Amino acid sequence: MNGKAGKGSAYGWLLQRITGIFLAFFLILHFQVLHFPKEWKLIELADVSQRLGHTGWVIFYFIFVPAGLFHAFNGLWQVINDYRPKAGTGRAVKTVLWIVGIVMSVWGYYLLFGPFRQGV
Amino acid sequence: MYQPKLGFFKMYTSEVGLNPNVGSWSWLLHRITGLILVLYILMHFFALSSSVGGPSTFNAWLANLQTTLTHILEIGLAAVVAFHLLNGLRITVADFFFLTKPHKALFWIAMVIFAILMVITLVVFLGRAFSPHH
Repeated sequence: MNGKAGKGSAYGWLLQRITGIFLAFFLILHFQVLHFPKEWKLIELADVSQRLGHTGWVIFYFIFVPAGLFHAFNGLWQVINDYRPKAGTGRAVKTVLWIVGIVMSVWGYYLLFGPFRQGV
Repeated sequence: MYQPKLGFFKMYTSEVGLNPNVGSWSWLLHRITGLILVLYILMHFFALSSSVGGPSTFNAWLANLQTTLTHILEIGLAAVVAFHLLNGLRITVADFFFLTKPHKALFWIAMVIFAILMVITLVVFLGRAFSPHH
């Protein structure tokens, strides 16, 4: 173990907590609305489109998607980092996680503003 | 600092074995629930991607995913989310407000809230899981 943490670790630590605070509130709301709705009915695309007709919900998901993905993949990196990967392997894993996170964020935005918002 | 290389699971279990206290257990459970949620988010994205096929495809996918079994599993998901969320808030509060000393008390406060949330979840939603959707 080289003992060098570097600035990246500190930013990762801070962002994990900041995104975590956001997610704590967002996830409760998201979970309440979608997984345990007041009205016990099957979720359909029309319901999602109707909800995304409100700007507030668009802003909500605009932040929720990348915040959730960052928290997930940064958390996964922390678990991998517990195994003390070699510097090169660590960099490669981090790069892959960043790419997957960014691609999934872009895909999430596409779904949000395409099929979900338009309902087509 | 030298640390011996341990196996995949032993790396975690040895930590709890050496330090069998609240801090180690909560750390291990936070890691486990976190990994479950990473897997869940991948499946979540996959299921939601069915919207690309239009309303009928998406609605058919979602109808298949909203069964009694999956609703029961959702209660498990709620437990995983609630633990990770409450323990995460405890870690954040301890870090940001210099409350690392009473971290054990904070853990038990979080667990009391967790227990209350789970009782409410079970009471409200266990019955729903066995009743048909409107």
